Amino acid sequence: MLTSAQCIVEYDFARRLAVPDRLSRKRDERYLRAAARLLAIYRRGVGSPRGELHRRVGRVLEAFDDCPPRRVAAFCKLLDDASSFASAGRSAAELRRRVFSLAADRHPLVTRPEGIFESTLEQAHREIAAELGRSWQEIEANLFADVIELQRLQAFDSDWQPAELLAAYNVAQTQALLYRAVRMTVTASEDMKTILRHAKLAGLMHEIRRLEDGRYWFIFDGPASALRNTSRYGVRFARMIPKLLSCQGWQLQATIAGPRNQFLEFRLSPDDRLRSPLAAPEPFDSTLEAEIVERWHAATPDGWRLERESEILHRGQQVFTPDFVLRREGDDSPIYVELVGYWTPEYLDEKRNQLQQFASHRWILIVTKSNSKFTERAQLPTLQLTGTFKPTELVELATTYYASRTLER
Amino acid sequence: MRNPGRMEKLPFFPFARSLRLLMPAFPAPPCPEDAPVCLSFHEGTLRLRGLRPRAVQRIFGEAGEPQVAGKAEQADDGPEWVFDDRDDCFRTDAVHYRQVVARLHAGLASGFRDEVPQWTAIDLTLRRESPQALQLRPDQLQATEAWVAGGRQGVIVMPTGTGKTVVAIELMIRAGTSTLVVAPIRDLMYQWHQRLLSATGIDAGIIGDGVHRVSPISVTTYDSAAIHGPRLGNRFGLIIFDEVHHLHGAWRTDAARMSAAPLRLGLTATPPADPERLQELRESVGPTVYSQAITAARGQTLADYRIKRIAVHLEAEMRDRYRSLAAHVQRFVADRRELDPKFRWEQIFKLTATDPEARRCLRAYRLKRRIEERASEKLRVLEDLFRLHAGEPVLVFVGSNAMARDVSMRFLIPCLLSHCGKRERADLLSGLAKGRYPALVANRVLDEGVDLPAVNVAIVIGGSASSRQATQRLGRVLRKGRGDEAILYEVVTADTAEVQRSRTRRRTAAFKKSDTAKRC
Repeated sequence: MLTSAQCIVEYDFARRLAVPDRLSRKRDERYLRAAARLLAIYRRGVGSPRGELHRRVGRVLEAFDDCPPRRVAAFCKLLDDASSFASAGRSAAELRRRVFSLAADRHPLVTRPEGIFESTLEQAHREIAAELGRSWQEIEANLFADVIELQRLQAFDSDWQPAELLAAYNVAQTQALLYRAVRMTVTASEDMKTILRHAKLAGLMHEIRRLEDGRYWFIFDGPASALRNTSRYGVRFARMIPKLLSCQGWQLQATIAGPRNQFLEFRLSPDDRLRSPLAAPEPFDSTLEAEIVERWHAATPDGWRLERESEILHRGQQVFTPDFVLRREGDDSPIYVELVGYWTPEYLDEKRNQLQQFASHRWILIVTKSNSKFTERAQLPTLQLTGTFKPTELVELATTYYASRTLER
Repeated sequence: MRNPGRMEKLPFFPFARSLRLLMPAFPAPPCPEDAPVCLSFHEGTLRLRGLRPRAVQRIFGEAGEPQVAGKAEQADDGPEWVFDDRDDCFRTDAVHYRQVVARLHAGLASGFRDEVPQWTAIDLTLRRESPQALQLRPDQLQATEAWVAGGRQGVIVMPTGTGKTVVAIELMIRAGTSTLVVAPIRDLMYQWHQRLLSATGIDAGIIGDGVHRVSPISVTTYDSAAIHGPRLGNRFGLIIFDEVHHLHGAWRTDAARMSAAPLRLGLTATPPADPERLQELRESVGPTVYSQAITAARGQTLADYRIKRIAVHLEAEMRDRYRSLAAHVQRFVADRRELDPKFRWEQIFKLTATDPEARRCLRAYRLKRRIEERASEKLRVLEDLFRLHAGEPVLVFVGSNAMARDVSMRFLIPCLLSHCGKRERADLLSGLAKGRYPALVANRVLDEGVDLPAVNVAIVIGGSASSRQATQRLGRVLRKGRGDEAILYEVVTADTAEVQRSRTRRRTAAFKKSDTAKRC
């Protein structure tokens, strides 16, 4: 990720929008060619000090009148992040200690020996080199090898193509914009579970609303956001971006703390075609889930619908996304279907706690044979799978357990 | 402050054993385990559950009402509680903890459950063989008493070199509770670690610089304290902000805002002059409880000093190049001022984002500065000064890492830069003190409070004219050495902007107020 010192944002105060810097392959074709040169600088630059690589990158980009210093710094950061540099921490410090200790007796090193001051720099070089048994050139090259800008490139590990470097730049600038965000809202119709899981991993607090069209609206921020507009959760928002980009069917809207105490808006959706560095989330959590979907499609019982992860149950900061939602025509209240596969005892305990939190809903568990102990304690209607999943069995179970309540309506 | 009785054992200075010092920060009636009202700590905020909005209003006054301007004196009227419906609780900043508890005790007959404090009583004592002064000087004692009398929340202002650390350690011992020391930079954090180790024998935890070792006595930096505030805010009963003038801005202020510590101490040599920032400090640490001017310290604890300025001239070729760069910069500024008469130089940084001309101008400006700063003539002057003061430890301050390395390579003397590890830094500082190294060249790493061995000769090359930097730099030169007069050389390039900067530097308070400083 970039630092905020490398971030470029355009503020459109008239429309109250914040727009991150972005390079397009077509409009900024020069940058595509420059990107090829930058990659070559690093690929061929093994052994060069970091500062020198940055100067070379600077020379390529400074030729463009529209290239601000921050953009140069951002490219350097991206390329550095994909590289490994030799760090000679201890050995350089030890070398310095020896060299300066040896030189201490000769202080001050003068240009021309006179009277009591008889040591010159050249003499000191010769004598210290002899003492250490290395040439002075070699000593000099290693003396400050731990200074960041003097560290030498060891390897450039990325197989980036020029277009991918531009894509990475665009994602990084979008992330950096979010450092200044005080709040982020995501409207989602798919992959909600993934989005929520990553919000939770990022340690964010959420507020969830269901929209009339069945989509969900998530508002993400943190505890201190209740007290003031703070951008202290911005880095956590930024961390979610690569994951969000790999999902489908979402829109992001963030409130950005801009200059002069103004708040501006930033919007993003898959239509912006930012390329995620990550793979799309696995369509199914398990093969069992995939199998159920497949068999349901092959033999869908009349008047029933099975939706995958289409609803979110939440209470305060507790969230649960049932694996399936089973709906019967004419019946407004859904039946939640949860799969319990082969898992550890801790996982089963956690699942039982979650289910208890939302015990007021109608549940059906689908369990594999080995988890019968779990179902005994969960005390919920259970479909025990012995062979393959049969949609009719699920529907029968739903009718048996929940028909009476349906009739009451 | 769960165990206030603990404190009685501790004050090592008998004179300080007044009853007032031993009173706990606030009385702590028993908190029933099953009380329905519960106060807890959640990621840097206080969370209050079990009270209706009306009760909150009764106990805390008009919660949520904006503070009336001009009422600043009573700004601590009551914390603002906000109802957070995401979490079904009232929320406020952890900094209000002490007040909140006092109000709840006063307003709730039934008591409440206080889950906030995770700090513990700590039995700190000075090591007998501690090199630290075993007795406080009268001014240091005054400072400690003032802080205690001020309710143990407040800022102590003492000039650099007068032993703020000693005062802080004394107060830590008296407080007898888990303590977090917040320092501006990593160097100072390590220095605190070292000072605590030598004074009390405690190997304090370190939070920052890639280390996360939390222990009841810990040291950290402002940035790490802000980052980890949500997890650390209720682990320390006393929080000490060293160089507290850095506690400023939305991000850094979080370091204080997210701490529930009932005891709060700020230390500085240079309190902010801006009343708004003073008010900010008052809210996050406390009022200024003790203030000592640099002139009061001079002569007693600080050495007398004089300043000598040496101008060097550029070689002809360099001078031409310098002048053409200067002309470039001047032309740009003049053009700008034609468009906007109020144009200030600082605005150029913004312009570089969009204006290639500005970028070229800034590049010219930086080259010009580099010529000023790294003029080879300066190395020659340095050689003469090293000869003049051969046998005396000399500190050289420069304006950039590159120049520091130039000096280091030319004279083969160590340079103290930000990349130096903890061990190397300790080796360099003790090496200079013991005469193992004849001289040391340093960049801004040493700008504030880093302990330097007493020297009588310092040389400033380059550097900016900000008054704080000059004061703090002086402070170190001024540390009382072997009773001799200290001398500060300023090496500047003649006929360049540096001369102007040097004049500004000489105009700042530390130079002007001196009766003893001799101008040469």
